[in-house]
Amino acid sequence: MKKERVRGRKPQSLGSRIFDVVNYLLLAAVGFVMFYPMFYVFIVSISSAEYINQGAISFFPRGINFEAYKRVFDTESIWTGYKNTFLYTIVGTAVNVALTAMCAYPLSRKDFYGKKPLTVFITLTMFVSGGMIPLYLVVNGLHIMDTMWAVILPSAISTYNMIVMRTSFSAIPDSLVESAHLDGANDVHIFFKIVLPLSKPILATMVLFYAVTHWNSYFPALLYLNDQSKYPVQVIMRNIIIDGDMAQAGDMSGMLNVVATNYKYAIIIISVIPILLIYPFLQKYFTKGVMIGAVKG
Amino acid sequence: MRKRTVKRAARQTAAAVLAGCMLLGGCSGSGSGSGSGSGGGAAATTGAAGSEAQTADADVDKSSWVSEEPVEISIMMTDNANQPLKQDAPSHEEIFKKTNVKLNIQIVPANGYNEKKSIVLGTNNFPDIIYIPNTADIVTYGESGVFEPLLQYVNEETMPNFYKFWEQYPEMKRYLLNDELYVFPVVAREETANGFGPVIRTDLLEKNNLETPETFDELLDTLAKLKEADPSIIPWTGRKGTTQLLKTTSYMLGSGYGNNGLYYDEDEKKYIFGPASQNFKAVLDYLNRAYEMGVLDPEFATTTAEQMDSKLASGKSVFFLDNSGFSMNYTSMLRKVDGYEDATFQILPILENSFGQRRAQAYATELPGRFYAVNASSEHKEEIIKLIDWLYSKEGSDITNYGVEGYSFEYNEQGEPEFKEDYVMQFKDAQPSDYYAIYTDLGITKLDLCLWACNTKTWFEIQKIDGNWTEESDEYWNIIANDAAYVQPHIDPPLTSEESEEVQDILADVNTMLEQEYNKYIMGEAEIDQWDSVISQCEDMGIRRLEQIYNDAEARVLQQ
Repeated sequence: MKKERVRGRKPQSLGSRIFDVVNYLLLAAVGFVMFYPMFYVFIVSISSAEYINQGAISFFPRGINFEAYKRVFDTESIWTGYKNTFLYTIVGTAVNVALTAMCAYPLSRKDFYGKKPLTVFITLTMFVSGGMIPLYLVVNGLHIMDTMWAVILPSAISTYNMIVMRTSFSAIPDSLVESAHLDGANDVHIFFKIVLPLSKPILATMVLFYAVTHWNSYFPALLYLNDQSKYPVQVIMRNIIIDGDMAQAGDMSGMLNVVATNYKYAIIIISVIPILLIYPFLQKYFTKGVMIGAVKG
Repeated sequence: MRKRTVKRAARQTAAAVLAGCMLLGGCSGSGSGSGSGSGGGAAATTGAAGSEAQTADADVDKSSWVSEEPVEISIMMTDNANQPLKQDAPSHEEIFKKTNVKLNIQIVPANGYNEKKSIVLGTNNFPDIIYIPNTADIVTYGESGVFEPLLQYVNEETMPNFYKFWEQYPEMKRYLLNDELYVFPVVAREETANGFGPVIRTDLLEKNNLETPETFDELLDTLAKLKEADPSIIPWTGRKGTTQLLKTTSYMLGSGYGNNGLYYDEDEKKYIFGPASQNFKAVLDYLNRAYEMGVLDPEFATTTAEQMDSKLASGKSVFFLDNSGFSMNYTSMLRKVDGYEDATFQILPILENSFGQRRAQAYATELPGRFYAVNASSEHKEEIIKLIDWLYSKEGSDITNYGVEGYSFEYNEQGEPEFKEDYVMQFKDAQPSDYYAIYTDLGITKLDLCLWACNTKTWFEIQKIDGNWTEESDEYWNIIANDAAYVQPHIDPPLTSEESEEVQDILADVNTMLEQEYNKYIMGEAEIDQWDSVISQCEDMGIRRLEQIYNDAEARVLQQ
């Protein structure tokens, strides 16, 4: 058993061993720097208020209790927000990925007429935008104000993601597409039966990119939605966390209540966990997918 | 459980009212054009015609209805973390019952309110009524014509309730822009105000046999002695850095800072840019002494609200000069720590400064600086004006400050509303506080749609009922009430848009320069006498022109 494990390894010199140790320590330190803020938010969220107020929490929770979570779960608006976020994320990501793929594929084909000017035209939108007010007027003119579509449609295609996807599609050999043609498949057929199945890694990457964007997005919702029951959880979370800080300013009001820190942090934990859980499932595609889209003609 | 049944009952009543008026609309189709004055009579006739409608109408008082037909009026308002707004709060349903106006409230989170507001106003795409949080917006949007000009309605006949306040508070004229009113200001109802004030650990004064300081100089000595007794403490801490330190201390120390340097001096009766005045040297000198004596937190320039909380709530700091109301929070936080069971933060009466003055600015008790504007292109202007006037009435104010009669409050013999004990007790231990939980549950007071608005009045009443009112709170509010040093904030005169642009340009330049100077003087890196050169720099940047703009505008208002 022991032998087996050792086998296959070359004997290491002292220098390389020291290098390994230092390397691991360094990476552990970097890892800790990444991990600690998240961990801190978590332990504060389960600690009791008096220790938090004294600033007495650093590595371990003190006065462990779940009151903050109980309060979060009792807050109705967070649940409706959650429901909305899930809805917007799922529908939005589906729309995003479908439209992005359908836009990227033709642009990846060398024989597509007008490919160059179209690409330039689309790329321009990365640098020039109409601004907030014109966009608002367009959304208003389309009569989708205060509906889910106001949040989803204006950002249906991210140019950057589309270009990444196009690059990935163009890596599929032309001969493959050609032979499918000869076998009698039309373009739609080729797209769905050949190109997409070969592009799972990039699709997974896009799903992740778009889903995370939707999950974190609050500004379009703030702007285009009027009905509180349609707000995603991020809008509600931001309100409690940022406004909670402002409330302490109490500048004109003379009122002094502050939203408790552990309540704020509990909301943060609750709202990041679902999207954190998606990563492990997509990770195997993810590393591949990002590379595929990179630095190629 | 109880709450739910009451809610259901309220909803059923609302439904009955709705059914009643639909029937009414159907029966007297031609009568819809008639004024609401005949509302009572019309209802009676319809009631006699249909037996079902009679029961529905019997307990409905239509005297305050603004329209025969139910009207839906949309309002954009800002949310608040302490008091989240709810569309279907009992107070809003009660407004519908009393006025026949269904409120459609667009609740926008506070941190995005300014962005959303500027977009909807900029594109002229806003609801019937919009909440305006500051006077600057009156200038920006008043001239663009998106707001309904309101002076035409301000008279005894159209708006009897608002007109009373208009007469009572001549300061309201300061909200006029080019002799026209564009916003309805919220009026405070029996408000008690605190403000910035010095707060010290009184238990430590007793323990160390120290006299209560009466002047700012004595304060420094007292804090130094406390530090001597326990060298581990940082006596005086604050939050949000140097600017906040100057905002809180300058006026008491004989100069002023306002929000951006400019302030109205109640003794001189004019606008002064604080940092560019000779008296400001006294402020810097005092803070410098506090710093050198080790009394002022050495991290004063970078300290945050969280740091202030943790220092005061752990006993590390014993004094602050900021919103003195925080004292009650810190007392209760600190008492939970072992060994601090008797700790008490209490406000000091305003101290005498080096000019022999005792002066401080309180928060507003009359006009809290909240406004509502009416959309000039709304289809329901007549109803909106009536609704707003009703909100200024006693009945409207009782409902928007106490909720629903019989559910959350009852009238006493003097005809004044009083909260019901069994209602209030449900919220005794609620978060973030008993009164905010009640405000949220009912949809009431200043932060909700309320034009003659309570804030502290209802807060005190609630805490006196549920037992959260403490001896310290009593003492605290008494000290403030008996302190003649506090004055009401001065409402800035309206500027023209050119003037306000010029003001902003000057302020931006001057404050960028000044922010780098303050710390040098407080930390003793520069001699106080050299401040004269800073003043002349300010003058080169046009600071006297800034003062003149404001003083001229003030003179214009006084002439009216």
